[in-house]
Amino acid sequence: MSLETAHSKSALLEYRSDLLSKALLLRRCDLRDSWKEVIPENCLQSLGRLGWDVTAFLSEGEPASRAALPAGFTWLSCADDFWSNLQAIALAQKPHYETTAAPGRLAAAELREMAGPARCELLYTRYRCPLNIGAASEFDVAEEILRRLMVSDRAKIEKGADFDVEEVLLALNLLGVRALATRDLRSFDALNYFYELPRRSLVRMQAHPRLLAFWLCIYKQVLSTPDWLECALR
Amino acid sequence: MRVAVIAGSIAAGMRVAREVEGVPGVELFVAVCDPGKRTPPVRWLREFALLAKSRKEWTAARLWRYARGRRLAVLGEGLNQPSSAERLRALRCDVGLHAANVIYSERTIAAFRLGILNAHIGILPAYRGRSVAEWSVLQGDRTGVTVFFIDSGIDTGERIVLRECISPKGSRGIGELKKVLFESDARLYRRALEALMAPGFQFECNETAKGRRYYVMSEMFTRVANEVLANRMRSRPAASLRTAS
Repeated sequence: MSLETAHSKSALLEYRSDLLSKALLLRRCDLRDSWKEVIPENCLQSLGRLGWDVTAFLSEGEPASRAALPAGFTWLSCADDFWSNLQAIALAQKPHYETTAAPGRLAAAELREMAGPARCELLYTRYRCPLNIGAASEFDVAEEILRRLMVSDRAKIEKGADFDVEEVLLALNLLGVRALATRDLRSFDALNYFYELPRRSLVRMQAHPRLLAFWLCIYKQVLSTPDWLECALR
Repeated sequence: MRVAVIAGSIAAGMRVAREVEGVPGVELFVAVCDPGKRTPPVRWLREFALLAKSRKEWTAARLWRYARGRRLAVLGEGLNQPSSAERLRALRCDVGLHAANVIYSERTIAAFRLGILNAHIGILPAYRGRSVAEWSVLQGDRTGVTVFFIDSGIDTGERIVLRECISPKGSRGIGELKKVLFESDARLYRRALEALMAPGFQFECNETAKGRRYYVMSEMFTRVANEVLANRMRSRPAASLRTAS
């Protein structure tokens, strides 16, 4: 590659990154101003003390807090349960974890064949430390979660048909964590896509206020992550 | 080589046929299905309306030639119904050309000796799935079209016949770029058939592990991709664009 070509490519990358940064800033402003349309006051109140923390986090101005995530791990084990760990990540706190050996492989086909509730249970158990969705060994499972969300669940929601609220929100949370951990642009864009759905399509999600609140908090952190294109293309 | 255009309307079939029928050694058929599952009156009204809109693509004499030569098959049932697959099989075609908005069953694919070619508007194996033109622009990769034999997966067919990079230069937005890419299908089918009939032709392998499946893109990212293209139009750094795409 000639020096001139390399320079042009880096200039184009810089330009695209600049455009993306502006788009992220606009979306962060939109989220800060309108997140209460997605999760209204009564939902927050049902979360008790957590509702206050979520309100404080989502209303916080720039620069937004982001969870400090480990890089290049094989598997992480956490003492706390799934909900405490997800909450720590969502509110940009550091979950307590230590590295450990990865469990046996979960085949994407196995996940695909399960019924909705069993699939959720399996995901809650396997990703008790949600950061593990970003482990290299979990690529196929993460791809299956993304596929299901962006193909069948998306189609159902857009048609106004019934959908499994818990499963969709769990997928959005896990994909948000994956986006934070691996800088996967497609997982990031799944969050964008669902955030952009007409608000009436998101009303049903209020049935799971905790997962809904965590999704928005994680989305805010994804939007605050810099250098997306540089990292995604590395 | 016996080839059938599988189209979602007579007009769409005639558009592809016009480009491909001149390839030496190709005997061409047009199989028309109705992906929308319309009632017969609605279906035929639509057919006539589309024909009227695309007068450049066909003449009554050409259409009559196909009909009289039994080279125009209008499928009454859904494309993947056993009866339709049987009609397609009866044409004894080597290759099908995808020009309908449908997903093919194994049975339909198997009705063609070599399979069904698809002109995918992204460069395989890197970009499978939806919105691949947008994703290619956003990530600064080459845009273009890949002609390959489909299987029942999403852009996972192993046999690639050709890939052509098509620069987004001149496109003011994603919509224009996609139109250019989609409209190159007939020309690239022609090239693919010529390649298939050339002595010593070898397929490229679609190594799916080297790529990613993409999904419909959000409005936010689509806007960014549009701005990238719009800026290329404004600044026109021609040399670097050629390299980047």
